[in-house]
Amino acid sequence: MGSLLQVKSVKRSFGNLHALDGVTLNVEPKTVSILIGPNGSGKTTLINVITGFQKPDEGRIYYGSTEITGWSPQQVYGAGIARTFQIPSMFGKLTVLENLLVAEKNHPGESFAKSLVKRLWAKHEADAVEKASKILELLGLSEHLNTPASLLSGGQMKLVEIGRALMSDANLYLLDEPVSGVNPTLAHEIFARIIRLREQYGITFFIVEHRLDIALKYVDYVNAMASGRLLAAGPPEQVINDPKVIEAYLGA
Amino acid sequence: MEFLPTIVGWLTYSALLSLMALGVTLLYRTTKVANFAHASFVTVAAYVTYTSTVILSRNPYLGVPIAFILVGLLGLLLFYAVLEPMRRRNSSTVMLMIATLAFDIIMLGVTNIHADYLNTVYKVPSRNVLLSGLDFKFMGEPGILFVALGTLALCSAAMYLLLNFTTLGIALRASMENPSLSEAIGINVSMMLAVSWFIAGGLAGVAGALIPLWTEINPGIGTLLLASIFCASIVGGLEQIYGAVLGGLLLGLVDVVGTSLLASVVGPWISFYEPIVPLVVLSVTMIVAPRGLAGLRFRRDK
Amino acid sequence: MSGLDQLILFTTDLLALFAVYLIINIGLNLQQGITGIPNFGILFAVAGGAYFTGGLSTRFALSLLGIQTDLSPILNNVSVLALINPILKSQPLIAIGLLILFLAIGGVAGAAMGLISSAPAVRLREDYLAITLLAFGEILNVIGIGYKPLIGGPPGVSVPDVLGWAGQYRFYAGTLVLLLVAIAVFAYAGYLIKTPLGRTLRAIRDNELVARSLGKDITRYRTVSILIGSTLCGFAGSLWVMYSGAVTPTYARFDWTFLPWLMILLGGMGSNRGALVGTFVFVALDKLILYYKYAFVGILPFDVVWLNYLLLGLITILILIYRPEGIVRTWQKEPSPVQPTK
Repeated sequence: MGSLLQVKSVKRSFGNLHALDGVTLNVEPKTVSILIGPNGSGKTTLINVITGFQKPDEGRIYYGSTEITGWSPQQVYGAGIARTFQIPSMFGKLTVLENLLVAEKNHPGESFAKSLVKRLWAKHEADAVEKASKILELLGLSEHLNTPASLLSGGQMKLVEIGRALMSDANLYLLDEPVSGVNPTLAHEIFARIIRLREQYGITFFIVEHRLDIALKYVDYVNAMASGRLLAAGPPEQVINDPKVIEAYLGA
Repeated sequence: MEFLPTIVGWLTYSALLSLMALGVTLLYRTTKVANFAHASFVTVAAYVTYTSTVILSRNPYLGVPIAFILVGLLGLLLFYAVLEPMRRRNSSTVMLMIATLAFDIIMLGVTNIHADYLNTVYKVPSRNVLLSGLDFKFMGEPGILFVALGTLALCSAAMYLLLNFTTLGIALRASMENPSLSEAIGINVSMMLAVSWFIAGGLAGVAGALIPLWTEINPGIGTLLLASIFCASIVGGLEQIYGAVLGGLLLGLVDVVGTSLLASVVGPWISFYEPIVPLVVLSVTMIVAPRGLAGLRFRRDK
Repeated sequence: MSGLDQLILFTTDLLALFAVYLIINIGLNLQQGITGIPNFGILFAVAGGAYFTGGLSTRFALSLLGIQTDLSPILNNVSVLALINPILKSQPLIAIGLLILFLAIGGVAGAAMGLISSAPAVRLREDYLAITLLAFGEILNVIGIGYKPLIGGPPGVSVPDVLGWAGQYRFYAGTLVLLLVAIAVFAYAGYLIKTPLGRTLRAIRDNELVARSLGKDITRYRTVSILIGSTLCGFAGSLWVMYSGAVTPTYARFDWTFLPWLMILLGGMGSNRGALVGTFVFVALDKLILYYKYAFVGILPFDVVWLNYLLLGLITILILIYRPEGIVRTWQKEPSPVQPTK
């Protein structure tokens, strides 16, 4: 099959609200695709279900050849899928640098026993710090390394979200509105860097996004959702001109 | 094991416990805080009865209406002087809890001072005192049984009527369900909270006022009962206010009847460990039926 | 006694109390300030350390010193200690060895109580957790009073005098030991907060949802935090028993749960330095007030100790309303020595 992520007929309801009403979509490796749809179409719920924050009522999810339906967020993260949140969620009292460092996987210094002997974790820490510093430089946040995250602007917090995801060395990134609240110039830069990351490292991005004016020129595929179902999927021009999509998304 | 006294003991205890737990559940629903000061609400009420009976030579049951007003006002005081200013500053739940704990400590000091005062100035005993001897008897059983049950029934009915048939009650319920929406449609949520504190204080006052007729009191009586009160409240489930009644009944059953049964099997020494009962019940509830008897999510995962 | 001697005694006494509370408060701060676990039941761990040290120390001393006797270490406590103490007095090294052993017992007991506390702690929301832990704290007192073989019931028992070799300087030696442990604990806490473990704990405190999305096993971390904090509280309970020489089942919620909360609130939650400042300021003030309080004895128709309750409750409320961040304002910037590489 070859798809990196497969979502098959996933359903999820909250009482009488059918947030996901049988969603089936695929994400191909090394692609940059976006998920669009009006408010309430179930986009964030889909991300939540894929990443384990909510369990699907029906349906299955596959990551490569492994089924990950119903996995916990910790397990999903461990498998190589990283996500960001729509509302930027910081570790408020930690510095920007620390926010990124927390994302580091399998850090020996996190175990109680090993934490007692500095020598056992100092190298890993130094490496992590270097990686984090580079990511922050990429995102233009170098001068805020030691700023407590709660003091950042909304746009800056968005960037830290992305940076934190990048620390995970994941294969698949699920970004939930990564550039909302970010000024257009910076938004373009971010998307340009996403493309570069894809070129350089073969990372796959699946992005929930409203800002079609910015995102459209960077993406390979567009998936359009409405009322908990997938309306259309394919290259941008095809989906944008699909009458069903126009009616649901752009129509009144 | 004597059957009837145990049943009497159970029902009396449960009735009083339910009254106290009703207030705790109400406060939790409105102000979202576990009120540690409920302990002192109860203690103050107990001493109102004791003082009016011993010093002013009144019928012990007169303490009930007096305590209702007094402790209701005490609840208002705690709300307006402490919790409301903190709420306006967006204090966290933990901070609010500490505040109620601090208020409880202050009142503990006050009741102890009062008890000492009775001792030194009025020369009457004020610790480990019991008024059950002044109780009337009805059908061979202590009057407190009937008064406690009757009061519970009366208060529950009154609450029901208030919440469902009065404008105030409906506004109160709205504030509990959706404070921001209530605010938007013109309900003074702050005042609704104040009302709930008065009512909760009143309920605790009524229950506390009856306690000296049932068991020995001293300034620590409220603290002793607090775990049981919270337990009854939680076991009953915090979604429905009336769950507190169920919780009180259940806990009373396990506590009084259960301990009695156990004692007849293993020996009277087991009664020393009776204070652990509410905790065991609480733990079991958390594991087996986390939603309580009436159902509410209070685990960390949703 | 000369004025200087009085001052030295006053200071020594103050420092001992300060040291004990500092250990507890660092343990509490680790749970509440750093990991965000509102442990209203630290009494459980403190009393655990105290009661188990009280209950087991004499037994251990008997067997380790090879003393044969039919007397019960708890029920015939006084007579048994009459056999043990003279040996300890003449053999300081053995006494100190026992001290370390008892400290370890206290730590293990504290950790055990912490483990029991952690069961609800990793599952319940803040408010339910607070209530449950508060109730837990009372259990040991009930058992201590009811179960005589533990620490002899209400009158309690004495413990082997591990400081007896210091003779008339016993309390000075005691204060020194307490301070040494307190300093070690403080140093450890400072180190811990700079480790990745400390950082992850703080992250969980700030935003548990995101921490989960980053793969952190929340249950494990909360348990670790509670275990460490409770072990420290167990140390404190054990040390206090050794310092006072005896234990009674009267460890109260006021002294060992409410006051520590007040102290870290005063100093500023989340910071070890805050815990230090809060503890010192409180203990010093409390000791000073104690002296002047007794001027009122006899004048007022009630026991002056209740004034304490009024005053402290009031101070707590004032802090909560007007200065909730405490004296040491560190919320803006927590210690963050991670330096970026260039």
